Amino acid sequence: MEAVRDVSTSLTGIDVTIVVMYMVGVFALGTFFGRYVRNAGDFFVAGKALPFWAIGMSIVVSDIGAMDFVGVAGSAYMHGIAVANFDWIGSMPAMVFAALIFVPYYWRSGVFTIPEFLGRRYNMAVQVIHGSIWGVFLFTMLSLMLWVTADKLVYTVLGWNKYFTVWLMVFITGVYTFTGGLSAVVMVDVVQLIIMFVGGIALLVLSMWEIGGWGAMCDKLTAAGHSEHLTILLPHNTDLPYPWTGIVFGLGIVLAIAYMSGNQAVVQRTLGARSEWDAKSGMLFGGFLKSFIPLMVAIPGLAALVLVPGLEEGDRAVPAMIRLLLPPGLRGLMFVALFAALISSVDSALNSASTIWTTDIFGRLRQLFTGKVLDGHQALVVGRFFTFGFIVLAGILAPWIGAQESIYVFIQTLLSFFQGPTLAILLLGVCWRRTTRWGGLAGLVLGVGFTFVLYNTKGLFPSDDPFLFVAWWSFVFSLVVTVVVSLLTPSEPDEKIRGLVWGQVMQDGEIQRVLQKRVS
Amino acid sequence: MMQETITRIFFPIFDPVFSPINDWLSSFYMPWARIVTLALFVGTMLWVYSLKKEYVNLDAPGKRFWYDLRLWTVIAMLPHVIVYLYF
Repeated sequence: MEAVRDVSTSLTGIDVTIVVMYMVGVFALGTFFGRYVRNAGDFFVAGKALPFWAIGMSIVVSDIGAMDFVGVAGSAYMHGIAVANFDWIGSMPAMVFAALIFVPYYWRSGVFTIPEFLGRRYNMAVQVIHGSIWGVFLFTMLSLMLWVTADKLVYTVLGWNKYFTVWLMVFITGVYTFTGGLSAVVMVDVVQLIIMFVGGIALLVLSMWEIGGWGAMCDKLTAAGHSEHLTILLPHNTDLPYPWTGIVFGLGIVLAIAYMSGNQAVVQRTLGARSEWDAKSGMLFGGFLKSFIPLMVAIPGLAALVLVPGLEEGDRAVPAMIRLLLPPGLRGLMFVALFAALISSVDSALNSASTIWTTDIFGRLRQLFTGKVLDGHQALVVGRFFTFGFIVLAGILAPWIGAQESIYVFIQTLLSFFQGPTLAILLLGVCWRRTTRWGGLAGLVLGVGFTFVLYNTKGLFPSDDPFLFVAWWSFVFSLVVTVVVSLLTPSEPDEKIRGLVWGQVMQDGEIQRVLQKRVS
Repeated sequence: MMQETITRIFFPIFDPVFSPINDWLSSFYMPWARIVTLALFVGTMLWVYSLKKEYVNLDAPGKRFWYDLRLWTVIAMLPHVIVYLYF
């Protein structure tokens, strides 16, 4: 990314000192938590001891990468405030639904992963299919993020050797994720979020100060003929990306809920909560914090349109603003904020990938072929083995995967095919007791097939990249298929779905009495 | 190549379904878009208040009003309502 190179001209000795101090501090903090890991529960779900504030902060920082900082600001520069929809309507309602529908069921069932929950509710095939696609996706993301950090950020800004940076990252994140598991990842994330917010708010405040406030910015944008940049809901047939129909139905109702309820990296934090209340409130707190992200990335992007107009690439907006507005020391802090955003995504992907590979792929296949289930100690050993193996392999493959953009695009597209169908079977699995294992399997497999066909049939929707529309219709299709096939197949026995279905928990007298007793 | 083949086979099947929907949505009166969006936020808040308090606040560390997650939801969502009214 050429845009980031612009910052390099202005980093001073104090900035580089801040960067080095940050790396040492993150490493020390992360490895400190290794002393608390005794078994698989400690490693994968932090011994179920996480407070709500740590969960919320970790969810936000895991979700936001350094490229989001640059890319979202760039999109705001090019297309306007509509890009903020992804952090507003694309987060808060979904996180409320996730907090109050999905999280309690995951938490109560004591699972480590979403595919594991699907396996209990449906069958092993659904678990392995879902686990495999997420396992491969997370591993690929890991390699890609290592290379992006080394190549696009550290090399362009500090000039450090790319391979040295990759292995430095492997060492820092690998050691603390290997020793401390989810506790280390979450606590490091808490610090990283504070750094990100300090850097982001500094950029926002200084850009508003420079322009003369919000009103002055709106007046200047309107005077320059950019009034559409202040419109958040765009018509269905707009030439710009993100029409309101796709935003509300495809993003707000399908993709966002699928992401917040089915993304292992997000949900794993709530599974480590010390209580069900902390799991729910952590998700809600995360949604509240996430509301501020557009203020720190999209608004500076709009401000850049006033302060540095005429940029050919939107991605150059943030580096240009950093160079223009931030003094020495704050520039280093802003660089650390971008770095923190990347590190937190790397450690989350590593921890979640090892969890999925241990629980849903290795554990399930071992059970299938030997009939033996992993005990707590074995799962810890296997989990650490995968953590070590993945981070080393990701380091080796990083330059190659980083150069093969088509691989990342292919895997990301493949994952997007699963979002609508996965939400359909998750929603029906939790909310409708009549949903059967065959209904779930058919909904997932046929839904992915339908998504593939719809995505590749050109001219059906106004947008050139109709992923928002495809997500909505694939969700609707999978919902219908799952219902129809479930009605045509025998219902699941009560003992199998006990405690896994919303209506059962809400209406079952015995379960209600237990809940009431615990509350009083 | 694959995309062309899929388009040739499936476009005639799907277009009669999606084309009228696109035409209808393209002529949609834009203030309704804002209303639909706000309804998603307000509807979510109302839905949360329709849930049993015991269910929402299970395991809460205390009974004070600030532990009520229904209130958390409203406080977290109200700024969004203001944002979508403003823009």
